[in-house]
Amino acid sequence: MNKEMSIRDFTMIMVLGLIWIFFYNQNPEFIGSRNLSNLAIELSIISVLALGMLVVLLTGEIDLSVGSGVGLLGGIACVLIFNYSWPAWAAMLAALAVAVVLWSSMGVLITSFQVPSFIITLGGLLIFKGLFWMVINSQTVSVSKGGEQNLLSMLTTFSFSTIVSFVLLAGVCFALFVSMQKRRKMQKEYGFESLPYERDYLKVFIICQLLLLMTLVLTQFRGVPLSLVILGVAATVIYILTKHTAFGRYLYAIGGNKEAAVISGIPVQKIMCFSYVILGCFVALTGFMQAAYQGSSTTTVGELMELDAIAACVIGGTSLKGGRGSVGGVIIGALIMTSLLNGMTLMAVSPENKLIARGSVLVLAVWLDVFFAKKKK
Amino acid sequence: MSVALSVSELTKEFPGVKALDQLSFSLEEGTVHSLCGENGAGKSTLIKCISGIWPSSTYKGQINVFGDEAKFSGISDSEKAGVAVIYQELALVEDMTIAENIFLGREPKKGFLVDWNKMYDDSKNILKEYNLDLNPSDLVGDLGVGQQQLVEIVKALSKNAKILLLDEPTAALTDSEVKILIDIVSDLKKRNISCIYISHRLEEVLEISDHITVIRDGQSISTKSRKEWTYDSVVSAMVGREITNLYPRKKSTVGSSLIEVEGLSAEGFSNSHLALTEISFEVRKGEVLGFGGLMGAGRSELLMNLFHGVGDRSKGKVVLKEKAYDSPSAKESISRGLIMVTEDRKRFGLVLDESIAFNLSLSHLKTFVNAGLVDGNKEMTANADFAKKLKVKAPDLSVSVGSLSGGNQQKVVLGKALMTEPDIVFLDEPTRGIDVGAKVEVYELINQLTEAGKAVVLVSSEMPELLGMSDRILILSAGKIAGEFDPTKSTQEDLLEAAMKFS
Repeated sequence: MNKEMSIRDFTMIMVLGLIWIFFYNQNPEFIGSRNLSNLAIELSIISVLALGMLVVLLTGEIDLSVGSGVGLLGGIACVLIFNYSWPAWAAMLAALAVAVVLWSSMGVLITSFQVPSFIITLGGLLIFKGLFWMVINSQTVSVSKGGEQNLLSMLTTFSFSTIVSFVLLAGVCFALFVSMQKRRKMQKEYGFESLPYERDYLKVFIICQLLLLMTLVLTQFRGVPLSLVILGVAATVIYILTKHTAFGRYLYAIGGNKEAAVISGIPVQKIMCFSYVILGCFVALTGFMQAAYQGSSTTTVGELMELDAIAACVIGGTSLKGGRGSVGGVIIGALIMTSLLNGMTLMAVSPENKLIARGSVLVLAVWLDVFFAKKKK
Repeated sequence: MSVALSVSELTKEFPGVKALDQLSFSLEEGTVHSLCGENGAGKSTLIKCISGIWPSSTYKGQINVFGDEAKFSGISDSEKAGVAVIYQELALVEDMTIAENIFLGREPKKGFLVDWNKMYDDSKNILKEYNLDLNPSDLVGDLGVGQQQLVEIVKALSKNAKILLLDEPTAALTDSEVKILIDIVSDLKKRNISCIYISHRLEEVLEISDHITVIRDGQSISTKSRKEWTYDSVVSAMVGREITNLYPRKKSTVGSSLIEVEGLSAEGFSNSHLALTEISFEVRKGEVLGFGGLMGAGRSELLMNLFHGVGDRSKGKVVLKEKAYDSPSAKESISRGLIMVTEDRKRFGLVLDESIAFNLSLSHLKTFVNAGLVDGNKEMTANADFAKKLKVKAPDLSVSVGSLSGGNQQKVVLGKALMTEPDIVFLDEPTRGIDVGAKVEVYELINQLTEAGKAVVLVSSEMPELLGMSDRILILSAGKIAGEFDPTKSTQEDLLEAAMKFS
């Protein structure tokens, strides 16, 4: 099974490579440091949302309300800052609290009252959109008062200086090496076989090289954007949560076989409800980043983002039936989606054609998924 | 007599495993030829080769159907050649009528439209031809499992199948349904239809077959006509060694009571006719309490009610380890030392797409958590221990459970249950659909449990198993207790009589 998965992942990386070569051919500026910096920020926004979505998809449920949620929660923060002069951190905390309340109520409705999540979150999509427009009074609300920078607006505009960027890079590489060494030591202590040292070392070395290349390119422009660091932290959190906690195992078990999960003594309802709360928090974070990226909150913020997030997950190998999906896959999926959007914008593709291209990529990805699933059998 | 199907020197390799190794046998026209072998012996692979699921290019050797070499590249090819497979898992659409199922995919048509009259008329004739008292306009979902199986066979025959491959057709059938099936199969012989029959129920195999081939490790060990086989000789050929004692029950010293049930009444199960009425029993340390009865007598429902609160309890008291236990859930039961191994392991027991390791530790994961994270190494050590103790046969523990044979899947379910360190173990049909060798291993496990002072509740439909492995037997009949028996002083007839008391 692992082998098949890696063939699939490999295909996706090839597809990504082809997309990049195509856009580079059309416009060499595509891989310029300026455009890649923009791409990194766009990737961070959609990936954070998709990572939240992954947690819910793993249990076999879905959430269609996240796009409206992104608008609503970003809108709440903007209104509190602009109209009520709240400090940005307090405004964001308040919006986060709203997210927890909304998503835990949806979670309760889905688990306790057994209403299909598709219906509940479809309702959420409409209700949150209505609330959103009410909150911003269907107008445009800026992210900062008098054009001053604040914590919220900095989420996507701030970049680390060259020195700090490299210090961060060194820190990440160091942490990767230390965790590899620690894992090897523990495996040795328990008497398990581990990979040959050279292979483990090479893996970490290649990752570090890629990070170095990325940092070099990004520091050519403004430096490593803060949003990329946010993505790094979010991805690490979700990775540990899904792969190294009991909660994460239970997500896979529920998605794989819900009845067996119940009989195995897993508190299924609690786990599912909590997965929605985690998603809610990630929706709030995406809401702040998206508002900051656009510079203001307007009625169209967040539109169709639920589909981009689901598409990123599915392209990255997440099963809509639950029980299958990984952080790495989701980020590759998000990278494919954002590269397409970014490249098409660069080529000045019309919005009509952009929509058609997004839809086609999603359908193609699902077809590939079915193709690989069949081959596995 | 001519040969309907012959297989010669068939070899099928998977990466690292030889599933079939120069296997040969031949099926004579109008006879029943049984294939016996333990789980993983290669029977399913053989069926897949014959039916074209594995295309002819993927194996070595030759398959002949009515003298012609068969090079099937898919199921449609084998169907055209007159070979039909009846699987253990039914391939019927429950929301459709019997007639719709029989003609699924080849509906009689009048122009563009389905000719419903012809479909129902033809179905009626076909059912009549095989003496089945069924109405073609009934929904398949309303039929019992046994009747569904019969519909499946009739469906295959209506496609002019000349060779039937029956893969564990009776695994889910009651005794009376098995009788009907056996009658139908004997009837088929008269119609010159040849059958390959696979079943773990050896009594049935001995009753139905003209020839028996025993398969072990992908090789055909021996083919002889029915007369030359005995129950014991089949078993020892399958296992490759003599099994001296099929039921190796060792009595343990019985201690204090672990669970007491008093006057329990409950209803509201998925089987809506069933009501458990005034059930009282206790199970003590070191004891195996057997529960017998007919299908639908409420044995599984009773255990599921005690373990997970399935159904609505109207009356009764349950005391678990000297503490009242009134609103059970699986989670609470496991933490109090009560575990259940359910009858339907694929539905309730396993996450089939996940690995052996994932499944083994699933109920016990909490104990490996250190500072919020699962200690992967500690977990792996425990998993490896249990896999070894239970003799799970697999290349390594990262293999998905869905790819294992039934016996090995059952071992994983048992390992998962025992890892929770229970004091009381409910086993619901723990040996269903698994081979003799694995059965004996399960029985030895039961002995180990009672020796360690645990209590076991064993539900089984196999009377010899119940008599052989229990210390006391309670028989349920229509949701009521119909009697308690001492296995050393009772016969199968006594148990059966009690089982039918209230039905």
